[in-house]
Amino acid sequence: MIRRAVLIVLGLIWLGPTYLLLVNASRPAASYDPASAWVPSGDFALLENFARAVENADLGGSLASTALYAVVSPLLAVIIGALAGYTIVVLRLRHGFWWFLLIFGGTVFPSQMLLVPLFVSYSDAGLYDTRVGLILVYTAINVPLGAFVLRNFYSGVAFSIFEAARMDGASTWRIFWRIYLPMSLSALTAVFILEFTFIWNDLVFGLTLSQTEDVRPVMTALAGLMSDVYAGTPVPVGLAAGLMVSLPTVALFLATQRLFARGLSLGSV
Amino acid sequence: MLGRFRHGYVAPAAILVAVLLYAPFLWTAYLSLTRYDGLEPPAWIGFANFAKLLDDPALITSTRNTLIWVAGTMVLPVGLGLLVAVLSYDIRGGAWYRVPFMLPYALSGAGLAMVWSPILSHDGISNLLLGVDTAFLQEAPDNTLAMLLVWTWQQLGVNTLLFVVGLQSIPKEPIEAARLDGASGWRLFRHVIWPLMRPLTAVVVGLALVASLKTFDIVWVLTQGGPGRNSETLAVTMYKETFVASDYGYGSAVAVMLTVVTGLASYLYLRRQVR
Repeated sequence: MIRRAVLIVLGLIWLGPTYLLLVNASRPAASYDPASAWVPSGDFALLENFARAVENADLGGSLASTALYAVVSPLLAVIIGALAGYTIVVLRLRHGFWWFLLIFGGTVFPSQMLLVPLFVSYSDAGLYDTRVGLILVYTAINVPLGAFVLRNFYSGVAFSIFEAARMDGASTWRIFWRIYLPMSLSALTAVFILEFTFIWNDLVFGLTLSQTEDVRPVMTALAGLMSDVYAGTPVPVGLAAGLMVSLPTVALFLATQRLFARGLSLGSV
Repeated sequence: MLGRFRHGYVAPAAILVAVLLYAPFLWTAYLSLTRYDGLEPPAWIGFANFAKLLDDPALITSTRNTLIWVAGTMVLPVGLGLLVAVLSYDIRGGAWYRVPFMLPYALSGAGLAMVWSPILSHDGISNLLLGVDTAFLQEAPDNTLAMLLVWTWQQLGVNTLLFVVGLQSIPKEPIEAARLDGASGWRLFRHVIWPLMRPLTAVVVGLALVASLKTFDIVWVLTQGGPGRNSETLAVTMYKETFVASDYGYGSAVAVMLTVVTGLASYLYLRRQVR
């Protein structure tokens, strides 16, 4: 009984800010008042606030760019990582474990160690503030995870599948592309979703490597809004923007929940 | 025949990682030993940047704040997460009691700041609710503590979820046996459940330790390390020294220090866990 009481009290405290978010993001932009923030407004203006957030904050370009980064980079990363895993495990690359260590070792560097050289060399190479530049860095950061999970996955697959395909005369590339890649779809999807979320929520690389509204990822754009939002943008519009940029990752997780659980368990074989 | 393309297949991954992760890492390590503003070529100055680290007041502040983040993360998102998990994992409808804690996890860093700025601002909802006039994000270290509470609000759910998964997967027999022997409540938890879930706790605490040492996003979106520099963490200091003050060499030295501290903490922690 005490357990339930503690949980309910804590839960109510936790619901408070969530409630404030929903109520005030739905309030007509001009009618926000901190003193009556707890009282729901009669007018439902959430969709107008979404529209105003996109328009006022120029989030449209950022949203499109971020969607591009969050889809293209994980796709590339997952295929490149899977190919490396396949080569190491199935093609039995010589010194394969060391290649794996080299690739996986890329995950240990804090992003702070990468920022200065990336910024300087991107400026020199004309990659600063370009979409290609951001896609490149997001892809590189996400390759190790793909290689890790898919290497594990492929080491659980019977080698006879590969041998049989070789007997039939298939090339190693064809075996990867037509047999191994489709076979690991659930693991690929799980990795894709994790990487999508990481890129969608990234702040620091966007901050360092981009400038213009059309290239800048949405979290960075929103963070830039923060410093002057509560000087300019009305609170309901800001809240709607915060809600809007959080929706894609939630939707993706909910849509693929089952596949995600399966992919992870397969990945840990 | 088989071997011809093998290295070609592993090359894209190896090249991307080498060029975009390893090379910058080594370059930063080198730059930390130079004076560099991004315009003039880097000038070798040995360990002068690291000597400066030792008596830079801004760095003392950000080290203190980072320590608050680490300690606070252990107590609040992790500790409180464990509490919620233990309270809810074996009661009927436990999953429903956990819903309020999961909802905030959907918000990302900038969205989080959007929600909390109007709550914490000086004419904001908290002050009106409590009938006080506190500048939550002004005075140090109060502003770090306020951000820690915001962080707890967001992160508690995912920690709880991890602990619940762990609690549900521990064997039932030892717990039943202990219950028959008359153990219950705190004693049952302390002497039976807690030792059984230790491997999982090690993972959750380890992840939280590394993440909290590198705290950046939430501070950047809520205070940008200010006012002045009083809520900076090491990661924020690194960013500001580099891209605001254009002192690339010194910024790199802070990055190296952060890496060494993170690496050392992980190593010591892992060694203790493995033993």
